[in-house]
Amino acid sequence: MNTDSTTLTDIDAALHELLDRPWTCIVWDDPVNLMSYVVFVFQKLFGFSQEKAHELMLLVHHEGRAVVASGTREEMERHVQQLHEHGLWATLQRDDKI
Amino acid sequence: MSNFERHDGVYSLDLTLDEAHILINLVEQLLELFGEGDFFHHYDANDPFAQLMSMQHEVVTPDDPVLLRLLPNAYADPEAAGDFRRFTEGAIRASKQRVLHEVRAHLAILVDQDQAGRVSDLEADTWLMALNDLRLALSVRLEIDEESFELFESLPDEDPQKSIYAVYYWLGWLQENLLHLL
Repeated sequence: MNTDSTTLTDIDAALHELLDRPWTCIVWDDPVNLMSYVVFVFQKLFGFSQEKAHELMLLVHHEGRAVVASGTREEMERHVQQLHEHGLWATLQRDDKI
Repeated sequence: MSNFERHDGVYSLDLTLDEAHILINLVEQLLELFGEGDFFHHYDANDPFAQLMSMQHEVVTPDDPVLLRLLPNAYADPEAAGDFRRFTEGAIRASKQRVLHEVRAHLAILVDQDQAGRVSDLEADTWLMALNDLRLALSVRLEIDEESFELFESLPDEDPQKSIYAVYYWLGWLQENLLHLL
């Protein structure tokens, strides 16, 4: 068994995964924004149904944060900008799930 | 207490003179925090010359905790956060100032006439965004957390903080009221 080539293949796969990993837009919980306002903003900016927006809002509230969108870095920066314009606390990062 | 109303898709809000004064005062204080001391500008924040002028300021992470809450870091990494801020903070500020100016223009009609009255034909999204930023600004100064309501209830009536808390909760009540009409 050629361990060197296995290692190289592993590195190659890991690198591909790293490059393919999308960016994510995360909304953080805060004690000020009204639940109904967060649902309104999610529906307005992402076109979610009332049900989906409500589900995501509860996820933010209970988990302290939730991924609300994923895609290219430029798209996620645009989302974060709009969320900040609406007063939600949002950040972006590379997807941390590998 | 005042309510938003919706008739045939048109939103309005009846305010007492005291309420109009409280709201316009908060709006103007927040505009000042955004660096606008004089409200009688004759240019639009989006015009190319205004943007050119604002580009000359170095855009850095705000020191003021209220501004930092309204213009938070977009990345955990300081360098990426700084780049994002340089390229987008101007647009975010312009958006926030636009909604505050719009709300201020409505309120100024009542305040200048020195009487209670109706703010009519208002843009619901604009008012929701403005009310939200006012609440966020007050929440930083009041250090609002999950236990704040109990703290506020327990304050003696003569405590000056109590009246600010009352305004904070009133703004939340107004915002909730408008959200229910959408």
